[in-house]
Amino acid sequence: MIETAARHDETDAHYKVPDVAGYAEVPHEEKVRLFEQVKGDFRFGDYLYGCYECGICVAACPSAKFYDFSPRRVAQAAAREDVDLIYQQMQEDIWECSQCFSCLRCPRGNNPGGIITIMREVAVNNGLASAKQALVGYSRIIYKIMSSGTQVSPDMLRSDAFPDWGPETADVADNLDLWRRALPAETMHTTSTGWSVADKTLVELYLIWLETGALDMIADVDSGLHSILLELMEERLEEEGIQL
Amino acid sequence: MSSDKVAVIGGGPGGLRAAQCVAEIGGEVVLVEQRDFLGGTPVAENYAGLTPRGEPAQPQIRAMIDTVTAHRLVEVRLGTELAGLAGEPGAFTLTLRGTQTAEAQTVECGAIIIATGFGHFDPGRSTQMYGYFEFPDVITQADLEMMLSEHKVLCPSDGQPPERVCFIQCVGSRDRQIGNEYCSKVCCGVASKEAIEVRQLLPDSKVFIFYIDMRMYGYWENEIYWPAQEQHHVQYVKGLITEVLPKGDRLLVRGEDTTMGRPMELLMDLVVLSVGMEPSPGTREVARLLGVKQNKYGFIDAVGAPLDPVSTDREGIFVCGAAFGPADLEDTVSSAAGAAIRAVGYLRSRPVTAAN
Repeated sequence: MIETAARHDETDAHYKVPDVAGYAEVPHEEKVRLFEQVKGDFRFGDYLYGCYECGICVAACPSAKFYDFSPRRVAQAAAREDVDLIYQQMQEDIWECSQCFSCLRCPRGNNPGGIITIMREVAVNNGLASAKQALVGYSRIIYKIMSSGTQVSPDMLRSDAFPDWGPETADVADNLDLWRRALPAETMHTTSTGWSVADKTLVELYLIWLETGALDMIADVDSGLHSILLELMEERLEEEGIQL
Repeated sequence: MSSDKVAVIGGGPGGLRAAQCVAEIGGEVVLVEQRDFLGGTPVAENYAGLTPRGEPAQPQIRAMIDTVTAHRLVEVRLGTELAGLAGEPGAFTLTLRGTQTAEAQTVECGAIIIATGFGHFDPGRSTQMYGYFEFPDVITQADLEMMLSEHKVLCPSDGQPPERVCFIQCVGSRDRQIGNEYCSKVCCGVASKEAIEVRQLLPDSKVFIFYIDMRMYGYWENEIYWPAQEQHHVQYVKGLITEVLPKGDRLLVRGEDTTMGRPMELLMDLVVLSVGMEPSPGTREVARLLGVKQNKYGFIDAVGAPLDPVSTDREGIFVCGAAFGPADLEDTVSSAAGAAIRAVGYLRSRPVTAAN
């Protein structure tokens, strides 16, 4: 492993550190702790074997075409256990991945996108600034998914949210129920959810969010949203007579 | 006088296999070896494990030696070197002399197989800034192999086990400055094999291999390279070390981590130079005495390569193993068997002359 800490301590006059400004620096031990969580994930061994550094993942990666982003560097940093670079990537790079898994093209069977999945989970679980920032725009979607089990709902279509969608947007939003009924399929007549969700499904979903800790994952990122959802779920489960 | 005997010059793995094969198809052999023992470089340098699978080297080489020395058609002359050649193809007369006694001997033979092998590049030479003769903890693959054969890897400077070990690849290979433009073929595999062995002996150590590109052809890929990286966590970093410097009681290696796009300076306890192959002094001398063509690097020119890799430019004289260029053991014994059949085939297909 190439630990930069050893370099800093022992050869600090020589080693040239890349400029990693733009987020809070944390002690080396904290970086090690975060990486241990990544490495300790049960999936990690299946996601990283050894890296040829051949770049085929970068060639296949749509994000790499548009951002300063490289799945190869993510795999390499993990393979080299370079905790400084891994921390930098958790604050920056990993949010530029679209999680399309084109990088599974890897001849060694690595899964750089999967490593990023784990790194994102660790970033979220530990309330990293980048995770908060990345998720700001998603709080409505998180609320929708966790409260209703569906993602984008028709009532999210508002002209203030989509000013570039043209003048019809306002009319559709104002007469949403009517427009929805114009569609033939029965399930499409919902307005506040993407489709009809059965009561039993919703209760099961709430149990899953609570029992797996999925809801807790957003506690550090958006505490307001977390408490709204928690209250909603506990209330509903109480009505069903379910004690956790 | 025409002769049905084949002279094999050099008693390493190539010469042993050539002698064995000639004898097994009924040919008479005289095996000439400069050293006082058979087995060549693997025995002289006390190889620990054979690349790629790491089986103990000495018993396997010993078995080859025993097969040859026990064969009734093989005569072995140890401590003997070539002094001259007379006669013509099919009826050569070799002049030999004892390395101790300088006593001249002659041997009649119809064909000759050169199996004089390679020598290691001298890492103290010219442009090398690795301090091989300056720092005790800068060693070669062969030095490490000696340690591995005793199951002990210790820094020569203080006798302590190293925490950080690195291999520097292509030392004396693929280098126009040095004049050795060729790849030495085996060093990537040997470095990886040795790296695995170091990690097994010293589980807390960190082992790096700095390389230009890893040449792990065929099954070496999955038999050495992948296990080294995946099971033994050897760190492969693409980028060569430019120099080794003293830093406190450790060694600082300077290079570029090319795929990460950043310079690197790392501290090491033990630096292993993956030195390449050159023609052995014996190969150069035998080529000169037999008058066979050498290539610009001094290896014997296999003029019919690639489909005839064992013929030299002189009729009746064949070559095998690392005498004609860098070769691993598989290449060596394969070409040795090829040289044997070509030599015997040559003798048996000669036109019958009045002298017979």
